[in-house]
Amino acid sequence: MKDKIFGVLQRVGRSFMLPIALLPVAGLLLGIGSSFTNPTTLETYGLTGIISEGGFLYTILDIMSKTGSVVFDNLALLFAMGVAIGMAKKEKEVAALSGAIGYLIMNTAISALISAKGGVEAMAVNSTTTSLGITTLQMGVFGGIIVGLGVAALHNRFYKVQLPQVLSFFGGTRFVPIITSIVYLIVGVVMFYIWPIVQSGIAQLGQLVLESGYVGTWIYGIIERALIPFGLHHVFYMPFWQTELGGAMLIDGTMIQGAQNIFFAELASKATEQFSVSATRFMSGKFPFMIFGLPAAAFAMYKAARPEKKKLVGGLLLSAALTSMLTGITEPLEFTFLFVAPVMYAVHCVLAGLSYMLMHIFHVGVGMTFSGGAIDLTLFGILQGNEKTNWIWIVIVGLIYAVVYYFVFYFMITKFNFKTPGREADDEETKLYTRKDVDARKEFAAAKNVDDFDKISALILKGLGGKANLSDVDCCATRLRVTVINPDLVQDSLLKESGASGVIHKGNGVQVIYGPQVSVVKSNLEDFLDTAASDTLDIFSDESVLDTSKEKKIESKPKVQTIELYSHMNGTVVLLEEVEDEAFSSKVLGEGIAIEPTEGKLYAPCDGKVEMVFETKHAVNIVSKDGCEILLHIGIDTVKLSGEFFESHVADGQEICKGDLLISFDREKIKNAGYKTTTPMVICNTEDYKAVEAVAAGNIIAGEKIIKIK
Amino acid sequence: MKTFEYTIKDELGIHARPAGMLAKTAKELDSEITITKGEKTVGATKLMALMGMGIKCGETITVTINGGDEEASETAMKQFFESNL
Repeated sequence: MKDKIFGVLQRVGRSFMLPIALLPVAGLLLGIGSSFTNPTTLETYGLTGIISEGGFLYTILDIMSKTGSVVFDNLALLFAMGVAIGMAKKEKEVAALSGAIGYLIMNTAISALISAKGGVEAMAVNSTTTSLGITTLQMGVFGGIIVGLGVAALHNRFYKVQLPQVLSFFGGTRFVPIITSIVYLIVGVVMFYIWPIVQSGIAQLGQLVLESGYVGTWIYGIIERALIPFGLHHVFYMPFWQTELGGAMLIDGTMIQGAQNIFFAELASKATEQFSVSATRFMSGKFPFMIFGLPAAAFAMYKAARPEKKKLVGGLLLSAALTSMLTGITEPLEFTFLFVAPVMYAVHCVLAGLSYMLMHIFHVGVGMTFSGGAIDLTLFGILQGNEKTNWIWIVIVGLIYAVVYYFVFYFMITKFNFKTPGREADDEETKLYTRKDVDARKEFAAAKNVDDFDKISALILKGLGGKANLSDVDCCATRLRVTVINPDLVQDSLLKESGASGVIHKGNGVQVIYGPQVSVVKSNLEDFLDTAASDTLDIFSDESVLDTSKEKKIESKPKVQTIELYSHMNGTVVLLEEVEDEAFSSKVLGEGIAIEPTEGKLYAPCDGKVEMVFETKHAVNIVSKDGCEILLHIGIDTVKLSGEFFESHVADGQEICKGDLLISFDREKIKNAGYKTTTPMVICNTEDYKAVEAVAAGNIIAGEKIIKIK
Repeated sequence: MKTFEYTIKDELGIHARPAGMLAKTAKELDSEITITKGEKTVGATKLMALMGMGIKCGETITVTINGGDEEASETAMKQFFESNL
């Protein structure tokens, strides 16, 4: 349960990234545009002669400022659509449309109720705003997130819905915008009554944070850093940046909520004399440790690396340090020591929190679009002038931080012998960790603990022959309908054990009958397929998934040697049955697989010997070193081209290694001559083996595993 | 043992597809079928060896039928070659 909530939160956090990724660009436009249209700035730098109101440069800068600003003004809509896209499982474009619809409908419903109650005057002070021309309740980005999450939930539930025959036109994805509009009409009405209560609650909570002063800022900073490893920091700081929680302020006659919004409103306002520290205290603290502290820590790790590894490690750490310094993206660096030395990360969190507090104490008013790198410092600190921002304190504190980080890290690494990059045992590869590594570790750990993963889904997946064997999963009223790549891999006994009352085979189609609860079975299976555990199903020892009787059966099977063949081309995997040539699709030539190539090159699928290159050079016979007889046949009916457009790079009898170029061909010309280039690889002596299984689907790169032969 | 000679009329010769069909046809018969071209002889069910012969249009091959119902097998093979090659 805990893991599930965590998983959802993590996805929510990730779905914020799409709209957030836009902010640096919008911030750049706004930052440059507004800096050089601000009369105070122009006067300070003596630019009034070059940039004056109504002039060409001024107009360009004004356009930049306003187009940047519009992004921040409509963040709620961007979040409504962006989160819907991020959280939708499939057919994401429909979710995006529905997100926009939901947002408009909800606000319009609220707007109608506001006028019915007597207009804005009848509402509490500062509780209303105008969004996209609609007078509505001030909900900030929360309003957008409510829509985004709700629409995604509706979408995932209904995008495959089947309606009765007469209404079938409105079924499936078309139903999602429809149900969204109805639901958000109701949500709008409900919000009109509930939101004012929430508003006063948030205001009080924000007040508490504001009143707890410097300590409050310190704690905010620690929590924000501590959530980084979990990818949940966006969920935590966004409310402060974007909603009433981070304060509210009247700027140029408009009520602005959220720390970041306040900063950018002040940036756009020509009346600003100093940026409000009550807002920027949720941001400025990032600069000292991102620009100075962490790069110094990287230097400490470099110094602590073994001499012979320094060169290798230096490049890695330098790029990570530069990323942190310039853009404020710290994960590449932080993940480098997070695993090997969690204690060091804890120290880092405390120092980071302290940085926020110090910036607060020194009244530093520098905001940011996304994170605290040198680019943001320049745009929103230095360019705005020290009187407005006190940015000089960032450099002063930053330099001290650099020294502190360097000595703390160097001391801890050497004292506790932490295995930071360049200090690990020789067999370990030096590398920077990525978010993927974190997730993989987590899920691997979770998967090992049998109680923590979905046993039934694992059983079903195993019964269906593993993830690689699935080409499509769907369900009807009572049956799980699965298209598999190799029906022979399906084990009915395992499926029945998972609760199925029957299994029906039809060619590559398998129907597993579960009864009305099948939709739950299916969604669980789909969720399970999204986890890393499903890729590594084989890591589970059999007893963890199967009961002992089954285990014995498996063990009693004689061990057979498996031969693996690797993709002979770059392209898309096509089932042999689907190849438009009877000779292949009927399997007269043997079992195998085909590829629709994206490049005119045929590579050796294994080590072996060229038995014969066809005189027409469109096909080649290979015998693998295990004695497997393989026919690679480029295109359909291409024998008729008599060798034109083909070039062979090997001779009969030549020894070859996996990945050697065998034949190159001109794809375009063959196509223009009216032939398909689908290239089957068939095992001519299929009858010598127990099974020939395709183990790949979709796009493939030459050299990836494609066939298993037992 | 029965033998007959056949001259390939199909202009593309015995490439992958006809080889596959020939092997399939030969497999279904209860006699052992071999194909001889010049000095080389291969079993008709050995797909890869068959393709390896590189038999072209106008070339004459010898089909040998051995064991089982040779009469029926010969008829079947003749019919196969006439209609396919």
